[in-house]
Amino acid sequence: MGAQLRIYRRRIRSVKATKKITRAMELISASRIVKAQQRVAASSPYARELTRAVSAVASYSNTVHPLTTESKNPKRAGVLIITADRGMAGAYSSSAIKEADGLVVTLRQRGLEVHTYLVGRKAVNYFKFRNRPIKNSWTGFSDNPTFAHAKTISDELITAFLKDAQVDTDGVDELHIVYTEFKSMITQLALNKRMLPLEVVEADAPAPAGLLPMYEFEPNGEAVLNALLPRYIESRVFNALLQSAASEHAARRRAMKSATDNADELIKSLTRLANAARQAEITQEISEIVGGADALASANAGSE
Amino acid sequence: MTTKTATGRVARVIGPVVDIEFPSDSMPAIYNALNVDVTLSGEQRTLTLEVAQHIGDNLVRAISMQPTDGMVRGAEVRDTGAAISVPVGDVTKGHVFNALGESLDVPTSSLDVKERWPIHRQAPAFDQLESKTEMFETGIKVIDLLTPYVKGGKIGLFGGAGVGKTVLIQEMIYRVAENFGGVSVFAGVGERTREGNDLFLEMTETGVINKTALVFGQMDEPPGTRLRVALSALTMAEYFRDVQKQDVLLFIDNIFRFTQAGSEVSTLLGRMPSAVGYQPTLADEMGVLQERITSTRGHSITSMQAIYVPADDITDPAPHTTFTHLDATTVLSRPISELGIYPAVDPLDSTSRILDPRYIGENHFRVANRVKQILQRYKDLQDIIAILGIDELSEEDRILVGRARRIQRFLSQNTFVAKVFTGIDGSFVPLSETIAAFDALANGDYDHIPEQAFFMCGGLDDVERKAKELAK
Repeated sequence: MGAQLRIYRRRIRSVKATKKITRAMELISASRIVKAQQRVAASSPYARELTRAVSAVASYSNTVHPLTTESKNPKRAGVLIITADRGMAGAYSSSAIKEADGLVVTLRQRGLEVHTYLVGRKAVNYFKFRNRPIKNSWTGFSDNPTFAHAKTISDELITAFLKDAQVDTDGVDELHIVYTEFKSMITQLALNKRMLPLEVVEADAPAPAGLLPMYEFEPNGEAVLNALLPRYIESRVFNALLQSAASEHAARRRAMKSATDNADELIKSLTRLANAARQAEITQEISEIVGGADALASANAGSE
Repeated sequence: MTTKTATGRVARVIGPVVDIEFPSDSMPAIYNALNVDVTLSGEQRTLTLEVAQHIGDNLVRAISMQPTDGMVRGAEVRDTGAAISVPVGDVTKGHVFNALGESLDVPTSSLDVKERWPIHRQAPAFDQLESKTEMFETGIKVIDLLTPYVKGGKIGLFGGAGVGKTVLIQEMIYRVAENFGGVSVFAGVGERTREGNDLFLEMTETGVINKTALVFGQMDEPPGTRLRVALSALTMAEYFRDVQKQDVLLFIDNIFRFTQAGSEVSTLLGRMPSAVGYQPTLADEMGVLQERITSTRGHSITSMQAIYVPADDITDPAPHTTFTHLDATTVLSRPISELGIYPAVDPLDSTSRILDPRYIGENHFRVANRVKQILQRYKDLQDIIAILGIDELSEEDRILVGRARRIQRFLSQNTFVAKVFTGIDGSFVPLSETIAAFDALANGDYDHIPEQAFFMCGGLDDVERKAKELAK
């Protein structure tokens, strides 16, 4: 009986300790979401304008540029997967990985070989555990990415893309990105997007009546694209990193909130069990004492 | 001891405990049976009492084996000069008895009783004991794998209220007694009267009754009877073992009621209660009974005892005293029965003396330990899963949890007795198949099959068939 009470108390203690951690993490994430959200918002105008400019160049110049033309016989594709460095974020990392797995399957069906580039320790562990090849990985900044990180990643991706996939085994014909879009505090969605070759978006709005806008490229279309496209990739990657970071904080906050609630629930039910065990012990002791005293009294009464 | 019968008179009646005054030169010995005639509402009955204490002043304190209604002070009490005895031998097969050896299904006088043995006997001497150890295959996966039973050993089925002790013991009767060459003795101690009746009718139907003796002292009987009925059944079993030189199966449902009756009597006898209000002689009473349930050279009594665990607390003195006497303990647990897994054997609490490579072989031992390890790890992770969710586990642990859940479900099995509830026939899984199946499961060979398919299955063939059905 006493052993049972002790076991309950020990479990309550351990659950309480866990609860403290989850509660702290919930609060930390809650405070960081706001900042992460602001950074997403801040990076958006630049990304938007850049996308507009790139699509304009791609659509209105008739330059044939490797970054915009699809390979006739694609051999390889690169996939960048963005996950978290740490766990405790519910299904955040696993849903991004699941999304990536789905993408890889479709790419394979098209007969492409897939090179994976990973961001975040969770993805690295997942791939390592399953002995899947990793082309390159970056870790340690998933919750607070800077532009420098985005730059390093983009440089590597562009280099791989510029290599001729037909002859060089490091080269890729397509670049995809898997990240988690931050829709709101409650909704985050794992997405996959093709970055390169550009999916040339003809102007968003229907072509206005009358004359098409005239563009003139200095010194020429190719030079502009050469300069613009790396910027474009960098901004896409940076934006994805920021969105993912914001999503990670939101996912973590939610996961930790429910973990704290679960811990509370567990503590409540364990406390009830412990109280019942304690009460049972007391009742038993009392009845033993009373019974013993009674028996002694009657034994004494008999001898007199 | 004189065989001359003395007569005394009733001095005091306290429920089932009666004080009787005898002439000082002819006090009855302890354990002697005494008879009293009582008249209650015009009906004359003879009550049997058993001497428990000499309390001085020419008084003996005796326990009644029947309700003492109608007994009056001064009534004449006859000492029979001997202990309570029960009929033994072939005459007991196919019949139902009470603790006093009276037949309940046919008039006692119609039985041709050749021999009666007193129910209080000595346990066999040490040099008579069987030293060979052999495993006893039941065809129930969880039992064969994790708590292998010993031929001629003592097996305990522990469990709280309503987790399936009686069902499991009846399953054992079904599996073992039917294909068993020897004789079976069933003792119903303080359990439901209806179950005794069902068992008798069922055995009559299947014909097992012809090599079975049943002894009942169910929950409607006074504590004196419940305290002695196990001994009565055991005496019959001992006769088969010692005189007829047969292998005997002894089923006792439920040994806790024996302890409980002892506790009731003890208080009425005026002994000071000990821990948790049990009788101070708890360990002694249990020892006297359990030491007699044993195998002697070449002739075995294999006993299966259901043991009720009060308030699911296995550390309660009553189940705990029984523990030490057993060769194999199968613990049925509530959390597992709540998952719908039957038989609800707790794989971590249950154990067996022969779960040792010397007796069951290296391979069996290794597989049993692997299974236990996986389940233990799963249990350790349960709090984390409850709080943080399964996504927070490491990759290794996540796979392990999947395997543990499959193993846990695969430990359930369709039983013959439960056919009336489930509509699925029982299955008998040979030991070698059980070991191979759990080995494969622990190695992860079946990670691709959904958990559901492992539920209430026999062998792996069943699992694969079920998986195909689920896939449709």
